[in-house]
Amino acid sequence: MSTPTRLRIAGGTVYDPANGGGADGVVRDVCIEGDRIVAELPGSAPRLDARGMVVMPGGVDIHAHIAGSSVNHARRLLPEEHAADPVPAPRLDAGAVARSGTGGTLASTFATGYRYAGLGYTTVMEAAVAPLAARHAHAELDDTPIIDAGFFVLLGNDDYLLRQVAAGEGARARDYAAWLLGTTRAYAIKIVNPGGVAVWKGGGGSERRNVSGLDDTLGSSVVTPRKILETLAGAANALALPHPVHIHCNNLGQPGNSATTLESMKALSGQRAHFTHLQFHSYGGAPGKGWASAAREVIEYVNVHAEVSVDVGQVMFGAATTVTADSPVEHLLYASSGRKWVNVDIELESGCGIVPYAYKEKAAVAALQWAVGLELFLLANDPWRVVLSTDHPNGGTFLSYPELIRLLMDRAYRDERLKGVNQKLLAGSALLDGLAREYTLGEIAIITRAGPARLLGLKGKGHLGPGADADVTIYTNEADRAKMFATPRYVIKGGTLVVEDGQLRRAPAGRRLAVRPEYDATVTKDLKRFFDEYACVAFENYGAEPVA
Amino acid sequence: MTDRTVANVTCLGCGCACDDITVVVKQDRITEARNACALGTAWFGDGIIPAETRVNGRTASLEQALTEGARLLTGAKRPLVFLAGDVSCETQREAVAIADRLHGAIDSLAATAATAVLAAQRRGRAGATLGEIRQRADLVVFWAVDPGARYPRYGARYAVEPRGVATPQGRESRTLIAVDVGDSRGPADADGRVAITPTDEVDGLEVMRAAVQGRVVEDGERFGSLVELARRMTAARYVAIVADGEPALVPVDPARAEALVTLAQALNGPTRCALSTLRGGGNRSGADAVLTWQTGFPYAVDFARGYPSYEPRAGAAALLDGAEIDAALVIGAPATLPEPVAVALARVRSVAIGPRASAATFQPAVAVDTGLAGIHEGGTAFRMDDVPLPLRPSIDGARAALVTVRALRDRLSA
Repeated sequence: MSTPTRLRIAGGTVYDPANGGGADGVVRDVCIEGDRIVAELPGSAPRLDARGMVVMPGGVDIHAHIAGSSVNHARRLLPEEHAADPVPAPRLDAGAVARSGTGGTLASTFATGYRYAGLGYTTVMEAAVAPLAARHAHAELDDTPIIDAGFFVLLGNDDYLLRQVAAGEGARARDYAAWLLGTTRAYAIKIVNPGGVAVWKGGGGSERRNVSGLDDTLGSSVVTPRKILETLAGAANALALPHPVHIHCNNLGQPGNSATTLESMKALSGQRAHFTHLQFHSYGGAPGKGWASAAREVIEYVNVHAEVSVDVGQVMFGAATTVTADSPVEHLLYASSGRKWVNVDIELESGCGIVPYAYKEKAAVAALQWAVGLELFLLANDPWRVVLSTDHPNGGTFLSYPELIRLLMDRAYRDERLKGVNQKLLAGSALLDGLAREYTLGEIAIITRAGPARLLGLKGKGHLGPGADADVTIYTNEADRAKMFATPRYVIKGGTLVVEDGQLRRAPAGRRLAVRPEYDATVTKDLKRFFDEYACVAFENYGAEPVA
Repeated sequence: MTDRTVANVTCLGCGCACDDITVVVKQDRITEARNACALGTAWFGDGIIPAETRVNGRTASLEQALTEGARLLTGAKRPLVFLAGDVSCETQREAVAIADRLHGAIDSLAATAATAVLAAQRRGRAGATLGEIRQRADLVVFWAVDPGARYPRYGARYAVEPRGVATPQGRESRTLIAVDVGDSRGPADADGRVAITPTDEVDGLEVMRAAVQGRVVEDGERFGSLVELARRMTAARYVAIVADGEPALVPVDPARAEALVTLAQALNGPTRCALSTLRGGGNRSGADAVLTWQTGFPYAVDFARGYPSYEPRAGAAALLDGAEIDAALVIGAPATLPEPVAVALARVRSVAIGPRASAATFQPAVAVDTGLAGIHEGGTAFRMDDVPLPLRPSIDGARAALVTVRALRDRLSA
């Protein structure tokens, strides 16, 4: 079958929760003209017989690490993974040239695009790009085919912002954020461990290696993680960005960190904010005194606060690579695991830490992390605000999403898996007490496409109403949900049939998703002075705009 | 003829990639490269370059050259692509695509720092972008290197002179220590120096790491001055260790690179430390980055099986010596090739596309001259610390490498 400019997907069971339909889907046709969904097509239009199949919008990944400087440092660190997972070039239709690559937890760029598309995902957000390396991230995304992609730019440990916070210059901080989003061609503001990375980079001579709570001070008494969160959340909301500020809280991975997480949510009470990989921030216990699940407490707050959204950051058993701007956390992981470790301090801005990792069923903390993630999913009331992620590849790779979907949809399977994990730290956890909930296909459609698209403010994504982007995934309806979601029968991206009968057939380039908010240009004069004083990249060469 | 002045130009004369150069062009010649060091001034030159297109030594059209080049490469059983210097990342991306298409081997100028790359793959790294060293480091240890010779502005721009947020007095805020290893000496104007013999070097680094970690130090007597230096580093706020990643005049123990990484990592227990590995110019760090994101491996990649495999101990020179390679494609300036590669290339039929390709000593069968990235052509290059920088051309008229390589790629795909 060639790629028609018109296509009627006929007779499938359509799960399009953004446009109603409920848990069981609706048997109807989905019509595509060009790169858009349309209401109707003439009867003569080509048909794709989807009877008995499950039709959903293309998947939308709200948070993954797939491109840019940190990801490339991690790739460079893992030659053994790449050697073990070769990816020959797929055979595309009409002799179109495809590229080979390698996989592992951090695949090469072309393999990343092919594998996401092969999984039925058509939109992905790279979750952490240092502004200094924005040009690099764009170059990698240019080499990542099929998927539409954007990135979140790192703010909140950068010297210029901290100076504005110290000076009480909220308006200038907002203008700076707007300028930075535009000049780096980013999609949203990302905060990683607000203030903590700056303390780590500040060096020895003090006991502090990180911040430990929202009211720790950084240099000036008015600069605190709380103030950084307020400043940037306020900026994102004032700029009416399509996605609010995307927050990786302080104290990631520490026992007892749920207190910090809840305090961070309360600090932004009433303001839109997205809290990412919540699983890594939902632990009870206390440092040095053991771990417990605090998932119930955290998700109950989320359930009754409509301004809060989260992605879960589920841990999946198997190989992972921890890669984050939260470099002090990676130093702890290096010290405790003895594995190889990358740290890169990024001038005036941010950090980067990497440690390869593996989550084992028999390890007590890994089993707790697995359980905490599942509890967050299973105790969440509103799937539109609690969406699926593994913080790829931190909790597991995106290739584990189908297995995660099965865990959510199939209680018998989940309970069987639970029996096999180390239960030492699970006493009193909701999961061990028994959670009967099984996600419906309608809910899966929300947490993997409709929900993340809405949270990202991507109006053309995550639904199948007229005018939407023609990104459609068609699955064979199988009882084994892991198998079903791992191998979609058809995937259509922007009207192009990219996966046909389970095989990748076409690999068009994806589009870049970016924002360009307006700002008062006088901020650039102050920035230019700051660059002249401290930076070792010319102001005119910064960002990711073409220069010549 | 256009006279112009182009500001904020990035220089690829060494890995420092200084982006504060102002290039003055008069009557289509570069008459000045303001702020450039001697290496940079030489790299910019006058901007005049040959524009030959040759097939088997005879002047040819571009059409003829590309046709013959494609014929030669597609007819080869075991082609090799080599990424030489002075091309942009955009051109490097096209070149890797060609190697993938040909199921060929590909290597690059980044392989010159193989020991540092391999050490980082075994251990990781404790690093920083150069600007962070400028902002933070109060103790800078030059390990067997004086950047003044091969990286002339490294001190002025990054590690010695400039003021940073935590180094407000510039040079006065920093203590410089030179570690002289045999004849490989640190800067003459260091505030302190330690001399050791090359045979003691790796053991000495291990002793320093033990001291940093508070372990019992054997041979404490023998390495007294290094133990003292380790204590001093432990007490600093932020240490930068500067070492050369490029081959030294005197061969060094390959274990040194790994010992430097592990020492820098260990220092992040009691304090903070970054190892700054000096890299050469020509956008070789870009070749490393591009190969890594497209294939998963930084250099010495082989697509022979239809996917990338990594042969870090069988780079271009070894492959060429093995007599298996029957054709080569060199993308970039032949003058930047490592000597063994340039010599070995003379044994095979080759295609060269890049600055002064027609003057290549290995006498390519097909030679297409192009401009230099950063002088005649824009794009992106990577600084030695993997910071991407835009390139700003100052001279018009030369054939662009990117479109030429892309045209060759299109022919191979047809």
